Amino acid sequence: MAISLAASRVLIVDDNEFNRKSLALIIRRAGLTQIEFAENGVEGLRKVASFRPDLVLLDVNMPVMDGLEMCRQLRRSATHEELPVLFQTALDSDEEQVRCFEAGGSDLISKPIKPGECVARVRHQLEKRKLFNDLANFRERVERELKHAQAMQLSLLPEPKRLQAIAERYELVLDAHFETSSELGGDFWNVYPLDDNRVAFLIADFAGHGITAAINAFRLHTLIDRFPMQHVPPSEWLANLNGALKDVLPTGQFATAFFGILDLHTDTLTYASAGAPNPVLGVGGDIRLLDSAGLVLGASRRAKYVDRSLRLPRGGFLFLYSDALIECSGEGNGPIGQDGVPDVLRGALAINRTQPLIPLLDHFYARTKQPLRDDLTTVWIARRP
Amino acid sequence: MEFEARQSLQLVEVRMSGRLEFTDHDRLPDIVELLDQPGLGQFVLDLSDLAFIDSAGLGMLLILQEEAEQRNAKLVVRGPRDDVRRSLDLARIGDILTIEY
Repeated sequence: MAISLAASRVLIVDDNEFNRKSLALIIRRAGLTQIEFAENGVEGLRKVASFRPDLVLLDVNMPVMDGLEMCRQLRRSATHEELPVLFQTALDSDEEQVRCFEAGGSDLISKPIKPGECVARVRHQLEKRKLFNDLANFRERVERELKHAQAMQLSLLPEPKRLQAIAERYELVLDAHFETSSELGGDFWNVYPLDDNRVAFLIADFAGHGITAAINAFRLHTLIDRFPMQHVPPSEWLANLNGALKDVLPTGQFATAFFGILDLHTDTLTYASAGAPNPVLGVGGDIRLLDSAGLVLGASRRAKYVDRSLRLPRGGFLFLYSDALIECSGEGNGPIGQDGVPDVLRGALAINRTQPLIPLLDHFYARTKQPLRDDLTTVWIARRP
Repeated sequence: MEFEARQSLQLVEVRMSGRLEFTDHDRLPDIVELLDQPGLGQFVLDLSDLAFIDSAGLGMLLILQEEAEQRNAKLVVRGPRDDVRRSLDLARIGDILTIEY
C-alpha cells in the first residue's frame, strides 16, 4: 500500500543542527513537507503537544532530557501511546538498541543516516499508523451506529410504563426479559390490547442472530400494523403475517412465532403457533407444555395454522420464551431442554410466586456459558387471583 | 457439523454428523458444490447421525432444497432422530420438505 506522505507531519528531535538539517533534507525529498524541529526532549514533548506529529525522529543523547526519557514519557500518555517513534542510533551498539526498544521506540534508523533506509522506515511506520487509524475509526463508527440501532431495537418492545398500564387494565402480572447475544438480535415480543376483555400477545424469533436477524425483526414490526387483530382468529392473523414475510424474506430466513389472544370474559386463551418453543401453561397447580407445532413464518406461502383454545382462569399463567432458554448450555451442564422447562419454572415459582422470572433467569445464568450464543426472550403473563 | 459425501450417477448423498447450527453457514457452499453434477436426480441428506439442529440449521435445509430444485434435483431428508426430529416436527418442516423417517 502506498500512501501520500504529503499530509503526514514529522517532528525531528536532535541537538545537532547539521543532523536536523540533513534528516529534513532526506525526508523532504521523499515528499514530506510538514516538518518541525526540537533540540532536546523537553522541547520535543512540547512540540508533540502543539504540532501533533504523525511520527517522531528521535536522537538518543541530548542535553536537558535525552531521547529515551522523552519516549518513555510519550508512552505513558494515552494520546501518544501509538505515536511512531524512530530512534537514530549507531548500528554497532547492541545495548543502546535494546534500550531504545525498552523505552518504547517503534523502530531504529542507523547512524550515520542512509537516505534510502531512512525513508523506507519512515514510510513503513506512517503506513502502519494510517492503517491503524483507519481501523480504529471504522471500529468507532460501527460501534456508534450499532449503539443507535440497539436503542431502536429496544424501542420495538413494550416500555415498562406501558406494560404496567396494560397489566393494571386487565388485572395481570406482566414481566419480561429481553437480551441479544450481540449488539442486535432477532427476537421480538409485544402485547396488544384489543378491547376491554381481550388482550393479545406475540413472541417471535428470527433464525440466526445479529444484524440480519435484527433487520428482520424491524420488518416484522412494520408488518404487524398492517394486519388488524380485532376481528380475526389467531390462525388467520399468523397466516396473514406469514404471507407478508414470505414476500420479503430470502430462502433460509424465517421466524418462529406464538400469537395468543386472552379473553378475560370467557377465561379462554386462543392461540396459533408457528414452531415456537412449547409455551408453559399453569392452571390450578397443574403445569404443562402446550403444543406449538406449526410451519415457521416466511418459509412457504401455503402455510396453514390452527387455533387451539384452552382455559386460562384467574390465578393461571402463561410462560413464553425463545429457544435460547432451552438450547444454551454451559461448562459441564447440558442445556435445560424443552422437557426441562416445567421443572425449572416450578423451582422458580417456589422461590418467587409472583415474579418467577427473576429466580428462573438466575438459575439459567448460573448454568449457562456467557455471552449467550443466541438471543433470549422470556415473557411471564399471569392472571391475578 | 461434519459431513461425508457419496456420489453416484444420479445421486448425491450427504451424511451430516454433530451439530448443525448458526456457525455452520460457511460450510454450506461446500455442500452446494456437490450438486453441480450433470444429470443429478436426487439429493439425499442423511441426518441420522446429527445430534442437534437449531433454527439457523433448519434454514440451511431450506436453502439446500432451493439449490437442489434449481438443478432439477429432488431433496430428500432422511432419518432425523431424537432432538433433530423434534425440532423438524415442531417447525413443521415436513410440510415443505420431503422427510423419510
